[in-house]
Amino acid sequence: MDDGGDSQRDLAAGLDSKEYCLSERDIVEVVRTEYVYTRPPPWSDTLPTIHVITPTYSRPVQKAELTRLANTLLHVPNLHWILVEDSQRRTPLITRLLRDTGLNYTHLNVETPRNYKLRGDMRDPRIPRGTMQRNLALRWLRETFHKNSSQPGIVYFADDDNTYSLELFEEMRSTRKVSVWPVAFVGGLRYESPRVNAAGKVYGWKTVFDPHRPFAIDMAGFAVNLRLILHRPQAYFKLRGVKGGYQESSLLRELVTLNDLEPKAANCTKILVWHTRTEKPVLVNEGKKGFTDPNVEI
Amino acid sequence: MRVKLKNVFIVYFVVSLVGLLCALLQLGQPCDCSQQIQAERRRGRERLRAEQRNGGARGEPRAEDGGQALPTIYVVTPTYARPVQKAELVRLSQTLLHVRALHWVVVEDAAAPTALVSRLLATSGVPFTHLHAETPPESRRRPGDPPWLHPRGAEQRNRALRWLRDTRAPGDGGVVYFADDDNTYSVRLFEEMRSTRLVSVWPVGLVGGLRLERPLVAGGRVVGFHTGWKPERPFPMDMAGFAVALPLLLERPQALFDPRAERGYLESSLLGALVSPEQLEPKADNCTQVLVWHTRTEKPKLRQEEQLQREGRGSDPHIEV
Repeated sequence: MDDGGDSQRDLAAGLDSKEYCLSERDIVEVVRTEYVYTRPPPWSDTLPTIHVITPTYSRPVQKAELTRLANTLLHVPNLHWILVEDSQRRTPLITRLLRDTGLNYTHLNVETPRNYKLRGDMRDPRIPRGTMQRNLALRWLRETFHKNSSQPGIVYFADDDNTYSLELFEEMRSTRKVSVWPVAFVGGLRYESPRVNAAGKVYGWKTVFDPHRPFAIDMAGFAVNLRLILHRPQAYFKLRGVKGGYQESSLLRELVTLNDLEPKAANCTKILVWHTRTEKPVLVNEGKKGFTDPNVEI
Repeated sequence: MRVKLKNVFIVYFVVSLVGLLCALLQLGQPCDCSQQIQAERRRGRERLRAEQRNGGARGEPRAEDGGQALPTIYVVTPTYARPVQKAELVRLSQTLLHVRALHWVVVEDAAAPTALVSRLLATSGVPFTHLHAETPPESRRRPGDPPWLHPRGAEQRNRALRWLRDTRAPGDGGVVYFADDDNTYSVRLFEEMRSTRLVSVWPVGLVGGLRLERPLVAGGRVVGFHTGWKPERPFPMDMAGFAVALPLLLERPQALFDPRAERGYLESSLLGALVSPEQLEPKADNCTQVLVWHTRTEKPKLRQEEQLQREGRGSDPHIEV
């Protein structure tokens, strides 16, 4: 794990049991610093760890997105954030941000190859955004955790612009193989959802866009037990030749069948995650040469 | 007189010894701090228990420094019904939940409080007040109107000001911050504004067509504003870029937002009645750090939903989004 990333914050810091006289100032300062920056909840030995994999790339709203996502994740016990930059090197912005959150994290990076033939030095459009980064995180998990490790864990792919309720993380914690739930604002609908029968089994997909996909579900709509990831080391997201909307299927078909899916969120009747997207900010007043101080980080 | 090295060493040794003795004498001095220590332990245990019970909610504001309460930050958020409303309020509440001594005043642009917002606030874990104030029909946006045609949220923010003036006592400390439901706030921002004496200011990211807008500071005072849009405004800054001390608002009951203000002048319509630009207090390291961003959320594409609804096969309206 990079840079320590020790998530344990000793909440007992304010409970110093030394008997010698502490001045009033000492007690107040110890307690004050505990709250200036938030800390995650205390680590529990009984809760499975949720490994949240977030691919990210540099653009003006990046720091804002990651700040508010971190503010969400800070409420979740036993959370390990795997942030994977689409970049040649790990950037100082992300390094500083991760360190300052106090979260338990791992900072990785891999650059999606650029297609120099395209105008504007675009990334290779045949590789869906985030794929290489998610695959790197899966590889990291497989290299870090032994197959027969008893450390229970859940893997969740959380893009940096979605919105997640805290309840979602508790729903996914009980995942045995792959659990699923509805996602709002995808596929041109208010929400897409798995179809669940009276026996609590998933038998189809309530979507308009290609409901016959093997897994017609958004990246934010499922979580995988770490054990399954480790036992199927060949399962990755397919890099190329993937039709739009089939990314998720390319991984899930290596892991489970429809029958094995575990519906969460009250048998898939509650919305606990929203596929929000952030507008590209208008920077027209920067002009060609830039108006604001480039040394001020946004 | 010749200085012998031996003498230097002796003097050094003696001075160190005296210093050490003084320090040792300080330790073990009898003093009755037991009550403080026990009170700290008790508070710490209660906090731990509360956090474990609430699954992470940060609980009630704590007293510190000999019983003086921390100034409460009143966060005023106007909100209106649209598909992303719940998502926006959920993620905003997750940020606010990290801030101690905070009171969230949510004002719906609606004729009555809605069940969606009521439920959300009740389960958010944030201390709140739920108000509503309907934008009059002539000021409402019609389909096709550009978003900037009418200033939004003026009536709702004024409603919150009225609540504060009706319910807070003149001696109450506190800071008022107008936080829209789609911006992004760092937790540190709230600690920066807590010490506001009159009106404090700081940079805002991604606004005014720029990477950031910010007050210009020299010698610890605001001497101008760095903005690319309408810099002639008395206070050329965004709603997210300032906070007002509650006592100041209570002292000036006439200070309100002007719903008919020209585009970009809404902030000035309030601030002009409260302070002059020289009185502004710069925060965020003399206005060099961006702790808040004027993010905007895309309107979700609901074309398939609209099509299904036309066919009478829309998604279950009972499933709240």
